[in-house]
Amino acid sequence: MTFDERLAAIRAAMIEHKLDAIVAIHDGAHFIETPNPVFVLSGFKSLGPTAMVLPRDGEATLIVTPAWDADRAAECCPTLRVIAADDVADALASARDHGSLRGARIGIAGLAFTRWDIAGRLAQMLPHARAADGIVFDAAAVKTVEEIANAREATRIAELGYARLIEIARPGMSEDALALELKWYTKTLGAEDNFLLLCAGPRNAAVAPSNGRTMQRGDILVAEITPSYRGQLAQICRTATLGPASADLKHKYDLLVRAMNAGIGAAHPGAPMAAVCCAINTVLEAEGYGEYCHPPHIRRRGHGLGFGSIRPGDVSLDNDSVLTEGMVFMIHPNQHLPETGYLLCGEPVLLTAHGAEPLTQRRSALVEIGL
Amino acid sequence: MLAMNPTLLIGPADWDPARFPREEFATRAEAFWRANQSATGAIVYGDRVNHAELAYLTNFTPKLEAALALIPRQGSPQLLVGGGANMLPAAKPLTFVEDLRPLRHVGKTVAQWAREHGGDAPVLIGSAFMPYALHQEIAAALASKIGDKTAELRPLMVRKSARELAVLREACATLDAAIAAIRASQAAGAGVTATILAGEQVANRAGAQDIRTLFSLDGGRTLRPFETLVERAVDPLQVYVAVRRLGYWTEGLAVLTAPPHPCAQRAGTVLREAVSRMQAGARCSEIARGIAQANLALHPLTARIAGNAIGLALEEPPLIAAGCEERIEPGGVYSLRVGLSDERGHAIVSAMVAVRDRGNEVLWSSPEAAR
Repeated sequence: MTFDERLAAIRAAMIEHKLDAIVAIHDGAHFIETPNPVFVLSGFKSLGPTAMVLPRDGEATLIVTPAWDADRAAECCPTLRVIAADDVADALASARDHGSLRGARIGIAGLAFTRWDIAGRLAQMLPHARAADGIVFDAAAVKTVEEIANAREATRIAELGYARLIEIARPGMSEDALALELKWYTKTLGAEDNFLLLCAGPRNAAVAPSNGRTMQRGDILVAEITPSYRGQLAQICRTATLGPASADLKHKYDLLVRAMNAGIGAAHPGAPMAAVCCAINTVLEAEGYGEYCHPPHIRRRGHGLGFGSIRPGDVSLDNDSVLTEGMVFMIHPNQHLPETGYLLCGEPVLLTAHGAEPLTQRRSALVEIGL
Repeated sequence: MLAMNPTLLIGPADWDPARFPREEFATRAEAFWRANQSATGAIVYGDRVNHAELAYLTNFTPKLEAALALIPRQGSPQLLVGGGANMLPAAKPLTFVEDLRPLRHVGKTVAQWAREHGGDAPVLIGSAFMPYALHQEIAAALASKIGDKTAELRPLMVRKSARELAVLREACATLDAAIAAIRASQAAGAGVTATILAGEQVANRAGAQDIRTLFSLDGGRTLRPFETLVERAVDPLQVYVAVRRLGYWTEGLAVLTAPPHPCAQRAGTVLREAVSRMQAGARCSEIARGIAQANLALHPLTARIAGNAIGLALEEPPLIAAGCEERIEPGGVYSLRVGLSDERGHAIVSAMVAVRDRGNEVLWSSPEAAR
C-alpha cells in the first residue's frame, strides 16, 4: 500500500459514510498509546496542536502551530495547503466561517484524546460532527511501503540499542542514567524518539519508566526499547541479568520464548488477533500458569505500533480484528510469573502472505551480563 | 518555547527532599488556599506534556501516563497514577505524597473523594490539559459544579523561592555547558546531528532531567526538531537548547559561527537593551514594544512573542508580547528572545533573566548579547 492509496481508501469510506469532510485534530502530545489522525493523513509530526481538513474531493488543508513551524510542514507535505496559525481552534473556526466547512457533513477524528481547551471548543464549533476515528485509523491498519521500511529501520536501531545496553549496564549505575544513555545512543542512529521503558530489580512488578534506583548485582533488567524512525515505532522487549541467571529464571524465560514463538506461528492473514493471544496463553496454561494469563496479571500480549494508527490493536482475547498482510504489530508474552516476577520477551512482526515475519535479526533470549 | 514533545519522559525526576523539602510544598499549598478562601480542595491534573502545576504542588512528573492529585484543604493528599497498580512502585520515588493509587474509574473516584475529603467546593487545576473524554467524565461526576483555578495558582508559581532560583542557576550552568559543547563540535567541523547530540550528551551526563533542541539548516531562517540524521556541517548554525534540571527549565538560543555575524550582533544589542528594561513592575507589552521599536525586521519566531516566564514549564504566563498588560514580577525568572531576519541574514538570541525587587540578574545569555 502507498500513502496515496491509503488516502483514496479514506475518501472512499467518506463517501460510504456520507461525509463531505473529515476534521482531524491532534494536540501535539505524541504518545505510543494514542493515535494521531493528523499524522495518518499528512505524515507530519507536529511540535504543537495541528488540524487537518480533508474534503471528500479537492485540496486538503493542514493547520500548523506554532506558526513558525509552517515551513517545515510545507516541506513535509508539498501537496497540502498549509496554514500557519497561532491557535488551531481559531484557524479552524476561520476555515468554517470562510466556507470550507459550512453546511458540510463533517466527521471528526482524534477528539477524545485532544486536550480539553482545544477539543471543547471544537465540539462546540462542530456540534453535529460525527466520530470518524474508525475511518481514519482502520485505513492505516495496514502500513504503507514506506512505513514498513521505517519499521525495519526502527527495529535495527532497537537491536543496536539493546547491544549497547548489554555493553554498558553495570551495578552502581542508575536506571535513569542507563535510559538516558540509550535514548541518546539511539538518536545517534537516527531515532527521533524512543518509548523506552526500563527498570531493574531482584523481582520486577512490571516494566516501568526508569527512576533513580541504583542497579545492583543480581538484578533482572527489563527493557522495552521502542525507537521511532521517521514517525514509525518498533519495539523489542528484552530481559537481561546483571551477573549469572538462576537455572529457574532460564527455564521460565525459555517458556516465554516458546509462548512467543507459538504466538508468532499463529499470526497469519485471515486469522483473528485473538488467536495469537490464545496461542501464547495455551503454552503458559499447559505449564500451570493459566491464572496468570488474565487480568490483573496480564492485559494483552502485544499491540499495534505507530504514532499514526495503533491498529490492529491489542493482542488480546477480545480483539476479533482479522489479520491482514502488511500489518505491523508487537507480539510479546511479557509475563509476571510467581517465581521470577515480570519478564519481557517480544518481537515486532510484519504480517506477510506466509505469516508473521519478525523484523528483528535475533529473537529474544535471556542475556546474562558478565561482571 | 515549544520543541517536540517526546512519547515518554526519560531522565531523573525523583523527589530530592534535601533540595525541595516538604515545607516548600506546604508553603505553596498554603499560599494557594489563602488566595482561594472558598476552595475546600483541589483536583490537579498533569500529563507528560503539561504538568507544571502538578509538579509545583506534589513534585510529581508523570513520565508515562497522566496523573491526578487530590489535595484537601485539611489532611493528606492522594495521587492517582495512570498505568495500573504495578506502576505505583516506580512512581513512589517521584513525589513526597505517600498515598498513591491507580488512576481508574476516574469519575467515581473523584466524586467519592470530593464527598469524603474535598468538601463541597473543590476546584480544578490544569483542567484545560485534560483529554476531552476525561474532562467530560470528571465534569459529569461532579455535576459540573466545579471551577478551574489554574490562573490563580500561576502568579504564585511565577515568584521563585530561593530553592527554585538555586536550581535554575544550576540548570543555566548545564545549558551553558551544552551550548559550549555544541559550539566546540561545530567548530571542529562535525555534522549537524553529531554537533547537536554532543550538547545533549554533555547535558545528560551533567544530570539534566531533559534536554530538547531545535536547529536550523537554512542559516537561521527556520528552526526544526531532530527528524533524521543530518551529516553535513552547517555554518552558521542557529540552535535552540532547553535544559531541565530537578523539574526546572532553562532555554537558550545561539548563533554558532567563527566569523563575525552582523545580524547576531545587532540582535545581541537589541537583547541587551531589552534585558535592561526587565524591571519589576514593567508591563510585558512595554518590553515587547521596546524590541519592536528597534526598527529591525523581527524574526517570525520572535515577532509575536518575545519571551515568557519560565520554570516548571518551558512557557509560563505571562507572555512578553504586544497586548499583554501583565507586569514583570519581582522574583520571576523570564526567558527573553530577540530574533532578526532580513535579506542580510537571520539570528535569534536570548537571555534568562531573574528579576529582583530592584534590578535584575542575567542567569544566562547568548554569547552575542554578553559581549
